[in-house]
Amino acid sequence: MASRPNKIRPIRRPVMNKDKAEFEPCWELLKGALTDIHNKNATDLSFENLYRASYKIVLFRKGHLLYEHVKSFEEAWFRNHVLPAVNSLVSGNLINVALQNSPGTSAHERRETGERFLRGIRNCWDDHNTSMNMVADILMYMERVYVTEAKLPSIFATTIGLFRDYLLRSYVGVSDHALDEPLVIFDLVNAVILDLINMERDGDIIDRNLVRQITAMLESLYETDEELENAKLYLTDFEPRFLEASRTFYQNECEKLLRDGNASTWLRHTQRRLREEQERCDTTLSILTTEKIANVVEQELIVAHLNDFLAMEGSGVRSMIDNDRHEDLSILYQLIARVDKTKAALQASLQTRVMELGLEIENTIKNTDFSAPAVAAGADAEVAAEGGDKAKAQLLNPAAQATAAAIKWVEDVLQLQDKFDKLSSICFSNDLGLQAAVTKSFTEFINMFNRSSEFVSLFIDDSLKRGIRGRSEEDIEAVLQKAIMLLRYLTDRDLFERYYQKHLGRRLLHNKSEMHVEKELVRRMRAELGNHFTLKFEGMFKDIELSKDLAENYRDHVRNLGEGTRIELGIQVLTTNNWPPEILGRQAVTKDGESPPECNWPADIRRLQDSFYNYYQRDRSGRVLTWLATTGTADVKCTFPKIPGKESGPLSKERRYEINVSTYGMVVLELFNDLAEGESLTAEEIQAKTNIPMPDLLRTLASLSLPVKSRVLLKEPQSKNVKPTDRFAFNASFVSKTIKIKAPVVNSTSRVEDPQERKETEKKNEETRAYVIDAALVRIMKQRKELSHVQLTNEVITQLAGRFQPEIPLIKKRIEDLITREYLERVEGDTAAYRYLA
Amino acid sequence: MAEDTENKYLTLVSNDGFEFVVLAEAALVSPTIKGMLRSPFVEAQTNRCTFPEISGVVLEKVVDYFHYWYRNRDKENVPDMEIPAEMCLELLMAANYFNLEPGPGQAW
Repeated sequence: MASRPNKIRPIRRPVMNKDKAEFEPCWELLKGALTDIHNKNATDLSFENLYRASYKIVLFRKGHLLYEHVKSFEEAWFRNHVLPAVNSLVSGNLINVALQNSPGTSAHERRETGERFLRGIRNCWDDHNTSMNMVADILMYMERVYVTEAKLPSIFATTIGLFRDYLLRSYVGVSDHALDEPLVIFDLVNAVILDLINMERDGDIIDRNLVRQITAMLESLYETDEELENAKLYLTDFEPRFLEASRTFYQNECEKLLRDGNASTWLRHTQRRLREEQERCDTTLSILTTEKIANVVEQELIVAHLNDFLAMEGSGVRSMIDNDRHEDLSILYQLIARVDKTKAALQASLQTRVMELGLEIENTIKNTDFSAPAVAAGADAEVAAEGGDKAKAQLLNPAAQATAAAIKWVEDVLQLQDKFDKLSSICFSNDLGLQAAVTKSFTEFINMFNRSSEFVSLFIDDSLKRGIRGRSEEDIEAVLQKAIMLLRYLTDRDLFERYYQKHLGRRLLHNKSEMHVEKELVRRMRAELGNHFTLKFEGMFKDIELSKDLAENYRDHVRNLGEGTRIELGIQVLTTNNWPPEILGRQAVTKDGESPPECNWPADIRRLQDSFYNYYQRDRSGRVLTWLATTGTADVKCTFPKIPGKESGPLSKERRYEINVSTYGMVVLELFNDLAEGESLTAEEIQAKTNIPMPDLLRTLASLSLPVKSRVLLKEPQSKNVKPTDRFAFNASFVSKTIKIKAPVVNSTSRVEDPQERKETEKKNEETRAYVIDAALVRIMKQRKELSHVQLTNEVITQLAGRFQPEIPLIKKRIEDLITREYLERVEGDTAAYRYLA
Repeated sequence: MAEDTENKYLTLVSNDGFEFVVLAEAALVSPTIKGMLRSPFVEAQTNRCTFPEISGVVLEKVVDYFHYWYRNRDKENVPDMEIPAEMCLELLMAANYFNLEPGPGQAW
């Protein structure tokens, strides 16, 4: 019902000269009623009667008189009836509470005094409020007609405001206290509430309802009778004092917590305080204050000394992370998230800790690298293994230990990663900012460790080799995920690629892993790092697959020809570019500048090779096949004669064994076929006959003469390592429990490189990088024609980011090189810019 | 329950002794009556409001209006109420007394 401006006017009565006579009786009636209302005797009054009285006064145009009379009546009422009652509540104790100089009084006493006072105030207020509502109802007509017209504050606002002016703001009439500043009732009310709240903070139980009633009163009173929304007494007077007092309280509390020096306590305490203050606003004060007081607590308990608490010895962030105190960290996260959207402090702490723990892993590995674990494992081996095995264990120890250390490094890194992943999901609700920061720190420390690429590849090698067979899908999945995750951290991906190629090559050639798992891993690498990264690996897979078909077809071919041969050939044709040079034996090429001498193959083998080559050439003319003896294996069927004089036991019969040896091993064993019984050969003689490079030969001889299980050659003198001068003879009395024997191939396990090899690898990697940078430079310049030095450098870095981080000096060097080779030239007059020369 | 039924209706009494029992909800359209029943005065206790300066004829029309308003409170395009011309002045005064405001689409 939209009100319209055209109000109905009171009808002017023609006879208006008995003003006084008209007003007085009506006012007398009302006055009596007001007194009755205040005295709670209103039940006998007729509303209609009173309403009509005020209606008439207004009709007689005496509204202003009525307004003033009511106002002064209420003022008088306050002075004569309410104030004395309130003043009687004000005791010396109370003032002491308000001035906070009551050292003698107990909290209990203070609470009693304070609550009695508040109760008195509340009762006054309740009465006044009810009365004023009733009065306003009776005076409804005056309100609507006169007050609106005269633009006065409503009669309710005026009379309710009296409570503020005549009660809250009246001076405390206690003369025996020399007060520095005049004290009003309101000050007492505030002080008592604050005192009560502090008592509650200290664990006392207070009358919350009472306090709530008082604050509700302050919320319905305003600074002025205009009743502006933001001028509630609660907001203008009480709240600032409350916030100030709380600030002081929490400052003190924070200092106490700092002195206690336990971050865990601090966290819980702060969390509890925040909850308490929230609850206090809900139940005791007003929800208007909720945010402001939370802010005070946050500032004083969290922000003010955050770093002090984080750094606390034995309970700070460091200890929380190290001891997986998830609850503490969760609280910490929640608290910090309240005060800082970026959580910078927490982020910094996490990063520092990741770095520290990461470097710790590295140090542990370094300090225990060869010595400590070698001794421990050596001792184990001695206890567990018997005689000959002991020799083998010690022979393999240094390399194996280094590999173990590498794998331990990766496992530790993974464990650390797992730890922080857990923290992220349990404590930090997977906060993206924190995750990114932690990842950054991981990347940093992993790449600070210069062998990480090799170690990661070794770890993958180890995981894939070690019994992927028989492991569940989930386990394999976990391995794959870990591998990709580690890969993500590496910045020198080209170096990793190099190592991985090498390790993968070994695994494939020795059939050490499951093809589908390998392929899946490479597929994921491609998804993660792009096509060019996995190109070679895929080529390797293809070679292996093609070779399988090739070998089968060749077998069919041979069978069809009817060329009976005693030797079965399993062949792997490797495309030169896809496979690591170490496997292809090209390492020697770079060293000596010429191809490694091919060994002298036994006649049977050479025939087989020729036969295969002819077959191979039928479809693919013009290709060259190089036979690599270093990577293959052969199953050799050996017959050991019956030993004369032995009538029982295994030696009394002729024994046939199938021995799996390296290709070189086979070549060596063939030699002994032609040897008469009792004759022997020195290693040097064998070398001369076979043309096998000496280091390879010694390794091969070691595998055939040292371990008990595959000792088909007898060495003279018997010692634990092989020298070129040692003599070897056929071990005619060799016995084995199994028919199939595997001579340990020293070469086949991937292990950590020694410093020499590492240098070699790194050098090669650097060379490759130079080419890659050259290519990138030319590619960019060809497209851009002209570019400044800085722009060019930046482009190169962005282009190559996926593979490695090129060093600035190297880029500079390559640019110089390209200038001398006349791919680029400097722009005249601008030395810091280049131009592409077509 | 008894109280509920009791409070559902209230009795309005005119100066010439006519009593009108009206639906309380309808009568509450008048702030005057609302105030009467809100505070702990005699009217609220007895559910009976006496108007010593309003005649039965006028009060009847006022009660008519209360119900007219109540029936049409949620409707639009409500037809005007029939007001006999000779009662206009008295009804105007009564409306003023009852603090009634013009309904939607109605002018005083």
